[in-house]
Amino acid sequence: MAEPLLAIKNLKTYFISKDAEVRAVDGIDIEVQPRQVVCIVGESGCGKSMTSLSIMRLVPKPKGKIVDGEIWFNGRDLLKLSEDEMTDVRGNEISMIFQEPMTALNPVLTIGEQITEVLLRHRKMTKRQALAKAIEMLQFVGVPRASEIVHEYPHQLSGGMRQRVMIAMAMVCEPKLLIADEPTTALDVTIQAQVLELMKKMREDFNTSIILITHDLGVVADMADHVVVMYAGQVVESTDADSLFAEPTHPYTKGLLASIPSLEEEKDVLYSIPGTVPDAAAFPKGCRFADRCPIAQPSCREKMPELREVKPGHLVRCDLV
Amino acid sequence: MSENLLEVRNLKKYFPITAGLLRRTVGHVKAVDDVSFTVRTGETLGIVGESGCGKSTTGRMIMRVLEPTSGEIVFDGQDITKLRGKELRAVRPKFQMVFQDPYASLNPKMGIEEIIAEPLIVNGVNRKQATERVIHLLERVGLRADDRNRYPHEFSGGQRQRIGIARALALNPKLIVADEAVSALDVSIQSQILNLMMDLKKEFNLSYIFISHNLAVVRHISDRVGVMYLGHMVELADKRSLYADPRHPYTEALLSAAPEPKRQGRRERIILQGDVPSPANPPKGCPFHTRCPKVMDICKVERPALKQVAPNHLVACHLYN
Amino acid sequence: MGTYVVRRVLGMIPMMFLITVFVFLIMHAAPGNAFDAIMNPAIKDIEQLKQQLEHNAGLDKPLWWQYVHWLGLFVTGNWGFSFNHHVPVTQLIGPAIRNTLILGILAEVLTIAVGVPFGIVQARNPYGKFDYTSNVVLFCLYSVPFFVFAIFMIYFFAIDLQWFPAQGSTGTGPGAGSIGDHLYHALLPALSLALVNSTVYSRYTRGSMLDVSRKDYVRTARAKGLDEGRVFTKHVFRNGMIPIVTQFGLDFGSLVGGLIITEGIFQYQGMGQLVIDAVNGRDYNVIMATTVLIAFGVLIGNLLADILYAVVDPRIRYD
Ligand SMILES: Nc1ncnc2c1ncn2[C@@H]1O[C@H](COP(=O)(O)OP(=O)(O)O)[C@@H](O)[C@H]1O
Ligand SMILES: Nc1ncnc2c1ncn2[C@@H]1O[C@H](COP(=O)(O)OP(=O)(O)O)[C@@H](O)[C@H]1O
Ligand code: SF4
Ligand code: SF4
Ligand SMILES: [Mg+2]
Ligand SMILES: [Mg+2]
Repeated sequence: MAEPLLAIKNLKTYFISKDAEVRAVDGIDIEVQPRQVVCIVGESGCGKSMTSLSIMRLVPKPKGKIVDGEIWFNGRDLLKLSEDEMTDVRGNEISMIFQEPMTALNPVLTIGEQITEVLLRHRKMTKRQALAKAIEMLQFVGVPRASEIVHEYPHQLSGGMRQRVMIAMAMVCEPKLLIADEPTTALDVTIQAQVLELMKKMREDFNTSIILITHDLGVVADMADHVVVMYAGQVVESTDADSLFAEPTHPYTKGLLASIPSLEEEKDVLYSIPGTVPDAAAFPKGCRFADRCPIAQPSCREKMPELREVKPGHLVRCDLV
Repeated sequence: MSENLLEVRNLKKYFPITAGLLRRTVGHVKAVDDVSFTVRTGETLGIVGESGCGKSTTGRMIMRVLEPTSGEIVFDGQDITKLRGKELRAVRPKFQMVFQDPYASLNPKMGIEEIIAEPLIVNGVNRKQATERVIHLLERVGLRADDRNRYPHEFSGGQRQRIGIARALALNPKLIVADEAVSALDVSIQSQILNLMMDLKKEFNLSYIFISHNLAVVRHISDRVGVMYLGHMVELADKRSLYADPRHPYTEALLSAAPEPKRQGRRERIILQGDVPSPANPPKGCPFHTRCPKVMDICKVERPALKQVAPNHLVACHLYN
Repeated sequence: MGTYVVRRVLGMIPMMFLITVFVFLIMHAAPGNAFDAIMNPAIKDIEQLKQQLEHNAGLDKPLWWQYVHWLGLFVTGNWGFSFNHHVPVTQLIGPAIRNTLILGILAEVLTIAVGVPFGIVQARNPYGKFDYTSNVVLFCLYSVPFFVFAIFMIYFFAIDLQWFPAQGSTGTGPGAGSIGDHLYHALLPALSLALVNSTVYSRYTRGSMLDVSRKDYVRTARAKGLDEGRVFTKHVFRNGMIPIVTQFGLDFGSLVGGLIITEGIFQYQGMGQLVIDAVNGRDYNVIMATTVLIAFGVLIGNLLADILYAVVDPRIRYD
């Protein structure tokens, strides 16, 4: 395979305070190839957002810290860049969109101001050129009346339109990597379908790689080339999308898939994973899924299983499969 | 199935919009516009639709916490639409509500025992019996008797939803309206709560109105399903019939837009254009005609009535005339 | 916006009416009247003279009659004579309003100019050394009673350093009455009031800026590649000022209260002094006129703050 666009190696992001150490991301490895859509899936609190914020080096200060690891992007380790160099990367080579389109846009600035700001920061452009480009981009993402909307404020738009604006803003510098953290979770299904379609179009037209973070395996099935399943700050399964759905292997992945009610087939009783996610400040010894795992053995609680290749390209963190 | 527990006839809720110097009413948000349906004893009626289509408003009117603009609600053979004061209090225990955000609906300063016992005490149960009942309910919903001395913030989202359910069950209701009761939960927890609700239904011979925007969840738990759009019930059918053979173009689009967690044999997706129109200014004729892929001339002028097109399958669409 | 302003102004009318009724009743419920205050007990037939004067002034009529009479004259612009100063009330009030406006505006400008930047510096590095020590200082300043602080200011700046006059609103020598002279006299009282009020505003500002800097759109701004300076000036600052503007409107009434006390301490000839004198001398016409104006000022101030609120926050649309 070609040189990956992004390679995260042994990333650890912790929240450190006097009385606790929350291991939000605890030694993960993820690779993203050019033009690939990688989905990171897992339940809330498993470290998906912190992974994405770590790539952007925007982990909440002062408690959040990247304590270990490397993030290789386009031949450079982002964690070694100065803050100034990093600002040149953000919004330009890597950009990001967030879950809540309402709160992610500044309520007192017009849509136009917010989009042109990115261009004025990263491109040599006059205000007028930037505004023209912003309008062009809005039209491209399917915002109607783009030349009027640039003068309007976020609250005047619907949720779906705001997320399109966010996408326009993120794509306006044609980044190599787009990180989307639950971009459709707050949207209705018909609007979600529109936004997912738009993201596919972005990948086609700009050759952008996408990291799509979601808790919805339906969205994963629709979008992913490659899937990373996270649990309790770790990668527990990583493989291409087809084999994930054809042969889910980690007991957690299997449990997740079995818990979801289906639109098409009758399931009398849903499988449910017992218990809850362990506290990130006090992970148990050994396998972090052991308390909820239907096939756990005493040995699982002794030693942390390694992420190992069970088939070519299919990695699973479980010793018993 | 047995007789009707609830009958809703021509229910409407128009919220006034005021403006100008004298705060005159200049229009109405037609949140619910002429909705009729029944719920039989022991049945679960699912209500689906995108946000703002009037699901919660319908639920709140049935709960008699919101005054209908017009229409009738017949519960257990009694017209409860006009009940006030003492008479209303006498029937209240028979219908209860469970909400999306259990945290917002649980008083943070009250202990769990107090929260669950409150409706019992108000209805004249003595302390000792109330405590016994609280313990019984807690154990029934999967919590421990000791939990009654703790406070809402000490529980996870799923546990709080169990508390909300225990409170709703305290007075032996016949009908529970669950408004997005599992929407805020992770799938593994969601399936725990769904299974619990289905068990409780059998055990206590409950009827549910299960409101959700999640089509798969609604399919799993319901016997019949109603689809709402812009304040109208556009399709109302037996679950199997609705999901296997959706008749209304909106239902079809909604089902095709919801991504299934599988890679093979995915349905062709119908992507609707644009947003849902504002309920303050709904389109004339069929409420869906501005986005309908099968729109005809008549749709723009005449509103289609909800009519039977197959056994237990009602649709409001001119295609079926 | 137009209809909103009209509605607000119309809404002031019943408010003003109620305020005048209220003040009128309180004023007459208090024992004594203007003539008790100015009567020399040595005068012969004092009771008869007093009755005569009271009759001339209409004070022997029923209260409701007096009120209606006063109201009728007042709305037609006849604000009556001052019993004590023997000049038309309007003549007394003109310079007083001017002086109070100078003091009030100066005090507000200084309050904002000190409090807001201070809060911003604190918020830029929260829980740091500067934040911590300055909080202690501000808290001490906030806890000192205002008149103690004001007297300290007079002692230090006016008597010790002799930088400012200790009292009054104009000088006597050449240049007396010029704008510079007015500002010079207003500066010390305004500064005293501003320093105390700015402690509160720096707290608001700090809290508000910190609040905003945790918002999602600030994270978005960083994700665009903006540096911290730009993130602050373009995204944090303007949003952070919205609650300050709201607070400013809410505080308008207490600012007026503070002005009255300040004028008293500094013997500054403004509306506050006029009110205090009039109340002491039971000078009914002056009391009524000043109260109406002060109430009007507060209501207009609140309205201005609400309009300003809509200017800084595009989500606010009045109709
Ligand atoms: N500001 C913070 N302070 C302390 N812990 C945090 C903070 N933000 C997130 N965490 C913790 O980090 C873990 C991972 O969070 P996150 O990456 O947001 O999860 P996800 O996006 O998968 O839902 C969680 O256990 C969460 O409690
Ligand atoms: N108290 C209210 N005043 C005015 N409009 C309301 C009120 N409650 C709900 N609405 C409006 O009624 C419509 C239906 O709302 P709701 O029943 O909450 O929808 P749903 O639960 O399906 O998302 C929405 O357009 C909403 O804005
Ligand atoms: S290592 Fe053991 S406990 Fe962990 S997932 Fe595998 S079988 Fe389950
Ligand atoms: S009535 Fe017409 S517009 Fe409405 S759903 Fe049917 S075909 Fe579409
Ligand atoms: Mg997250
Ligand atoms: Mg709702």
